[in-house]
Amino acid sequence: MDTTPTRIDPVICGASTPSRDRTQLRALDGTTLAEVGLAPRLLAQAAVGRMRSAADRTAPDPEVFAEAGRLFAHADLEGESPQEYRERVSAATGAPIGAIERASRGIEESLGRVDLLNRSELPAPFAVAGFETHWVPRGALLAAVVPNNHPEPNVSWVRALSLGYGVLVRPGSRDPFTPRRLVAALLAAGLPGDKISLLPGGHEIGEHLITQADLGLVYGGPDAVARWGSRDDVLVRGPGNSKALVDVPLTDALVERLVDWIADDGGVRCNNISAVLVHGDHVALAERLAERLAELPTLTPTHPDAALPAIGEDTAEPMRAYLGRVTDGAIDHSSHRYPDGPVTRTEDGHTLMRPLVVSTTDTHGDLVGTELPFPFVVVAPWEDKDDTAPLRDSLVVSVLSDREDLIGRLLGEPTVRKVVAGPVRPWTSRPEQPHDGSLAGFLTEPKALVRALPPS
Amino acid sequence: MHELLDGWTAPQAAADPDAYLRAILEWHFSPATGSPFWLERAPRLGFDPIADVKELGDLRRFPDLSDELRTVRAEDLVPTGAHGTPFEVFESGGTTGAPKRVVDGLSRGRNVDWVGRVLSEHGFPEEGNWLHVGPSGPHVVGRTIKHLAASRGGLCFTVDFDPRWVKKLLAQGRTELAAEYREYLLDQVELIVDSQDIRVLFITPPVLESLCSRASLYERVAQRLEGLMWAGTSVSPETLWQIENTFFPNASVAAIYGNTIMGIAPQRPRLDDDTQPCVFVPFFPQSVVEVIDAEGAPVAYGERGRVLMHLLARDMFLPNVLERDTAIRLAPAPGGTTDGLADIAPFQDGTGTKVIEGVY
Repeated sequence: MDTTPTRIDPVICGASTPSRDRTQLRALDGTTLAEVGLAPRLLAQAAVGRMRSAADRTAPDPEVFAEAGRLFAHADLEGESPQEYRERVSAATGAPIGAIERASRGIEESLGRVDLLNRSELPAPFAVAGFETHWVPRGALLAAVVPNNHPEPNVSWVRALSLGYGVLVRPGSRDPFTPRRLVAALLAAGLPGDKISLLPGGHEIGEHLITQADLGLVYGGPDAVARWGSRDDVLVRGPGNSKALVDVPLTDALVERLVDWIADDGGVRCNNISAVLVHGDHVALAERLAERLAELPTLTPTHPDAALPAIGEDTAEPMRAYLGRVTDGAIDHSSHRYPDGPVTRTEDGHTLMRPLVVSTTDTHGDLVGTELPFPFVVVAPWEDKDDTAPLRDSLVVSVLSDREDLIGRLLGEPTVRKVVAGPVRPWTSRPEQPHDGSLAGFLTEPKALVRALPPS
Repeated sequence: MHELLDGWTAPQAAADPDAYLRAILEWHFSPATGSPFWLERAPRLGFDPIADVKELGDLRRFPDLSDELRTVRAEDLVPTGAHGTPFEVFESGGTTGAPKRVVDGLSRGRNVDWVGRVLSEHGFPEEGNWLHVGPSGPHVVGRTIKHLAASRGGLCFTVDFDPRWVKKLLAQGRTELAAEYREYLLDQVELIVDSQDIRVLFITPPVLESLCSRASLYERVAQRLEGLMWAGTSVSPETLWQIENTFFPNASVAAIYGNTIMGIAPQRPRLDDDTQPCVFVPFFPQSVVEVIDAEGAPVAYGERGRVLMHLLARDMFLPNVLERDTAIRLAPAPGGTTDGLADIAPFQDGTGTKVIEGVY
């Protein structure tokens, strides 16, 4: 891997704008990956002002996004090859490089059909002679606060561009690489510069942009949900807390399936399963999962076969203390299988998170649904009388049961965002289907246009 | 009176600071002219301040009594020899507990007169109205800005601004309420600039950032502004660049560093080979500022150290006050004799008491 740090600067209205406030972004192993120019509040405000005066709400041609997706996945951009990009994200965030590779393909595919993605989330507009309904943007500027855990959430702000928005992106502190590369790809594909600004900075810059833009899109944890959840001009994408209900006999095939759902992409996605509710012997299932998950190789995230995420060495101790606190009172099925517990150090000096399976009999407690950015799963008993209650607050609920009535009630549960029935991966979808409600519905609204008919 | 002390103009004092120091000590420690505060404490010092203190270096022999300013009767601070001059009392920000009180009749005015001359060097307008968006009341900066405006023939508009309330909010993590307070200040600013011709603005960086984020207000202010003076919290290099070049390219911009104890150190005009964007120069020798290491020795030029200050004014003598700030010590500018201070930052002593910089 090229060890020269790359230089990342704020982008204002499509133009790279060097900042005098600079910081170094280090990989989790301590090497310097990037020299990042930060946008303080006034630089961000300068961007808002220029974007606001340039905003014209026109939507670029869909081909711009398709071309940008191809460039993102395959071209050298800002002197960075696709392979360098993937290595940087993996080294900075600890996500296995395979996950970043799949995400690159996912982004390319999504950008190839932004129009379809948007249209699928909106009712077909009404139109008869003289009477038309148009879906139009609710504002001119969107502020997007994007996360570090995975590159694909960045697709959402690209979709806002495709609906005519000007977008101000505050990248995650560990992954400015994905938004930077996307911005470069979009500009190279012909996106007008004044549609986009990229403003690296702290928490307060995100807050400021959300306050100043017309609409905000925030990826974050429980804090972000508490801060912005009640605002109708801010869409918060919080923790996934995805869950599976197991109401079928315990078999090898079932265990293999759950291992995949829990640990695919190193367990860093919001639709990886964080809790398994079991109708039957939940302890036995927890043991089997722990045994099987413990076999995942402890490879450096940038290794092509890496399966587990890394964390920074300085967070190892706090992580151990946190895990001790959060799983207090639960049975730990994993740690005794590892020489030094789930937080482990590899020979080449990385701190890896090995899978952690815990079980509890407190089906309705806070532990069920706790989401952590590695293969972490809580196994708890489920009985008919529990019904949908322990399955609430989930991005995805996977139902392995022939209880059709339960599926109907889960679909009706507002805090459950997607239901998957039977042995299908939780993230299985079609482009026509929503991931979490209607992003297009948040960004646009229907407006009536009535014309006088010409005299007949 | 345009002298610092009878027989001492500011240039004379700067030319022979040790002799000025001896004159100041004679004033503050002679029974006919000294303050009850010092005359009462003099016998307990263990040395004779008039006979034994000969030069600035000897100031270190004094204890730091500034904590007593939190509780001492303020009238006891007034030098007997200054009776007849109207005095006022001011208080520190209260960042670290109860505020310290200082008294002043004329001395700080001399400092401010000099700041006015430095502002002229920066290109600040010689006339026009000022707007002070900063503390007044017990805080000396309010009077300072009014004095500057008046000395240049302008009116000084003010808004009520209570920095202690904001600091309390920030200490409690109530950032939304603090933001609301800033907006409330700006509502008042808006009512002033709507109808009044404001040419010079004093403001703190957090409130300035909010002002720049209110597009219509910002445009009205920036259109007419010829001078912008800021103080109170540090700003990042890019923030300063944005203030000077993006938001107020047509105004002269200067910062002041100061506090209740030492008075005001204005930013000096920038030199071509400056590496620091803001270099502050104290009003020497009425204000003597040292930058010291943990052992109390002055740090080398270019190094960071803790700020130690001595106030050698007719109206108040206060030696050896260790501030909560750190600064980089810089060599005097060509033609000058006073060290510069740059990149002021809060002192972190590691005891866990978090200093709240706040909006002021």
